[in-house]
Amino acid sequence: MRREGSAFQGLGVVMLKELSDNLTSGRMVVMEWLVVLIAICVVYTGIQQIRELSAEDPFLLLRLFTRSAEGVPNLVYVLSYFVPLVSIGLGFDLVNSERNQRTLSRILAQPIYRDALLFGKFLAGLVTLSVMLLALWLMVIGLGILLLGIPPGAEEVARAVVMLGVTIVYAGVWLAVALLFSIVFRSAATAALVALGLWLFLTFLWPMLAPYLAIPFISDSISSSSDLLSQLGILQAFSRVSPGALYAEIVGVLLDPAVRSTQQPLLASLGLALVQPGSIPGAPLPLMQSLLIVWPQTVSMIAGVIVLFVIGYVVFQRQEVRA
Amino acid sequence: MRYGFIAALAAFTVVLAPAVRADDAPKDVKGLYLMSDYPAVTVRPGETSTLSLRLQNYDIAPERLALSVSGVPAGWTATLLGGGQPVAAAMPATNSSVALSLRLDVPKDAAMGTQTLTVAAAGSSTTLQLPIAVTLAKDLPAKLTVTPQLPQLRGTVKSSFEYQLSIKNDSGKKLTISLAAQAPQNFDATFTEQYGSQELNAVPVDAGQTKDVKLKVTPPNTAAAGDYKVTARISAEDASATTDLGLTITGQPKLDISSRDGLLSARAAAGKETTVPIVVTNTGTAPAEDIQLNGSAPSGWKVTFDPKSVDRIAPNDNKEVQALITPTDKAIAGDYMTTIRASARGESASSTFRVTVTTSTMWGIAGIGIIGVALLVMVGAVARFGRR
Repeated sequence: MRREGSAFQGLGVVMLKELSDNLTSGRMVVMEWLVVLIAICVVYTGIQQIRELSAEDPFLLLRLFTRSAEGVPNLVYVLSYFVPLVSIGLGFDLVNSERNQRTLSRILAQPIYRDALLFGKFLAGLVTLSVMLLALWLMVIGLGILLLGIPPGAEEVARAVVMLGVTIVYAGVWLAVALLFSIVFRSAATAALVALGLWLFLTFLWPMLAPYLAIPFISDSISSSSDLLSQLGILQAFSRVSPGALYAEIVGVLLDPAVRSTQQPLLASLGLALVQPGSIPGAPLPLMQSLLIVWPQTVSMIAGVIVLFVIGYVVFQRQEVRA
Repeated sequence: MRYGFIAALAAFTVVLAPAVRADDAPKDVKGLYLMSDYPAVTVRPGETSTLSLRLQNYDIAPERLALSVSGVPAGWTATLLGGGQPVAAAMPATNSSVALSLRLDVPKDAAMGTQTLTVAAAGSSTTLQLPIAVTLAKDLPAKLTVTPQLPQLRGTVKSSFEYQLSIKNDSGKKLTISLAAQAPQNFDATFTEQYGSQELNAVPVDAGQTKDVKLKVTPPNTAAAGDYKVTARISAEDASATTDLGLTITGQPKLDISSRDGLLSARAAAGKETTVPIVVTNTGTAPAEDIQLNGSAPSGWKVTFDPKSVDRIAPNDNKEVQALITPTDKAIAGDYMTTIRASARGESASSTFRVTVTTSTMWGIAGIGIIGVALLVMVGAVARFGRR
C-alpha cells in the first residue's frame, strides 16, 4: 500500500520536541557540562604552556587544539574519547524508551510517519551535539584570543571551522550507532551496554588487535622507503575500522598545515621523518590541499553516518510497533 | 804586427794585476794618509753638512796625530768628529784606518762662492794636510721620474689591472714621494708595495735610487666596455712626474633569471604540465650568445623549456622563455624547490623557484559521489520501506 503525502510530514514537530527534551533533560545537562568543563581545563592548561613557548607561530590558534600541558591530554584527544560517550548517552534509548513507555503507537497514531519520527530523533540528537560542540569551540577560540591576545587569521579560523564540522560528523557516527542499537534492542540497558561495548572494543582493543590482523598482509623484508610506506598503509587500513582512528587522522592533518601525509605522525613515532626530495619541509599547505589529503577519511565518516542510519531505518520500518 | 799586439796585451796585464791587488794590501804604498772620498763638495747655506774623512796607516808604526782644521771662514763652525764625538787627535794602527767626519755648520747668510778648508793631522814625524773645497750653492732641484713597465692592460670588469711603476729619485737627497692616481669615476685605484698588500700613500726613496710600486685599478662592475685612461702622479716637494696608463675593458655578458612578474614561485598540479614564464636578462656589457637553459627539480619531475635555448641577448635586453614544469604523478602536496639555470659560455645564472604542488581534486569529486550514492540508498530505503 502506497502512502499519501510526504514521508517527512511532522518532521519539524518531532525534531523540536526531541530537541527541547534533550536540552532540558538532566542527563544531557550533566554530560554536556562535564565535557565542556574538561575541555576548558585542558585548553586553559594548554594556553599556559603555549604562552611559555615562542609566539612566532603563524598557526597559534590551531595549537590550542593540539597542545597541552605536560601529562594532560590535548583537546583533540579529549574530544575523541568524550564525544562518542555523549553521543551514545544521547542515543541509546531514543526508540526503545518510547516502546517501553508505550508511547510509540500513540505518536504514530498522529499524522506522523515513522520516517519522520526516526529522522526527527536523529536530527534532534545531532543538533544537540552540534550546539554543545559549537559552544565548546567558541569558548576555546574566545579563551585563546583572551589569554594569548592574538587575533586569529582567516586560514586558522577556516581550519578550525572544518575541524568543528568533522567533530560533528564524528559525533553523528556514534549517534547513528546508538540509534541503531536502540532500535534493535528492546531493553535500553542492553542497547547502552552493547553500544558502550562496541565503543570500548573499537577504541581500546582494536588498536592493539589491528597490527596482529595485518601481519598476514605484510611482507617480512623492508628494503626501501616505499616498502615501509606501503606496510604502514596496510596497518592504517586495518586501524581505520575504528571511527576514532579516522577522526584522529583527519584532525591531525587539518590542525597542522605542515603535515602532508596521514603517515607522518606514524613515521614520527618510529623516529623517522617523511622527506620528499626537493620539498621544503614545514611549509604550510593551503586548506584545500590539507582537506584533499584526508578527504577519503572524511567521506568514509559521512557515508558511515548515512549507512548506519539507513540500516537502523530499514530495521525500524520492518518492526511491529503495536506490540 | 802580431807580436806587437801580444806585447801590448802582456803589458796591459802587468799593469792591471797590481791594481787588482791594491785593494787589500798595497805593497808599494807606505806611510800615513789623510783622505776623503770627495774633497770638493757643494753645500747649502743654513744647513749642517757632514763630510767623511779617513786617516789611513800603511805599514808603519802607529803614531799619535793631532788634528786641526784651518781656513774656516768667519761665522762657520767646523768640527772634527770621531765615533760621534768631537776629537782632537787620532791614532790609526798599522794597516788600518780611523774614520773621521768633518761637520760644517754654514750660516744662512754666508756668501756664495768657494772656500777652502784645510784639515791637518800633525804627528811627531809627519804632517798631513788635506785641503777641502766647499762650494756654497743653492740646492739642486728635486727631480722625479716614473716609468711604467706595462702601460697598457686589458681585461674584463671582474679583473683587476696591476701596473708596475718604477719611481726614480734623481734629486740629491732622500725624498718621501707621495703617490696619487687619477682614474675614471667609480674606478678604484690604490698603490701597494710591489710584493705585498699594504696600501701606500707615499714611499721614501733614497737619492738616486729607484723603487718599484704597484698601482692596482679595479673597475666598477658596471663599467662599460671600452678604453680608459689612468694617470699616475707622483710628487715630492716641488717636483712631480706623471705617466699615462691605459686600460681596455672587454665586455662580459651577465645573465639574470626571474619570472615575468618578478615572483619566484609557481603553482603546479601533480602530474600536470605547468607553464612558468621566465625572463632571462643580460645585465652585462657584452652580448650573451648561445644561452642554454636547464632546470633541476626533485626526482621524477620534468623540466623543459620552450625554446630550448636562446641564440643571443644584447646587453640590457631580455628574452622570455617558457619553462614547462611537470611534477611527478606521485608528488605529495607541498612546496618544492626547482632551480632554473641559464648558461652562456662561461657565464651562468640560476634562480630557485618555489613550486607549490597541488593534488588533483578528482578524488574529492569521487568522494562526493560516494556520499551521493549513500544518500540515494537512503532515499531508496525511504521509498521502498515507507509505510503508512
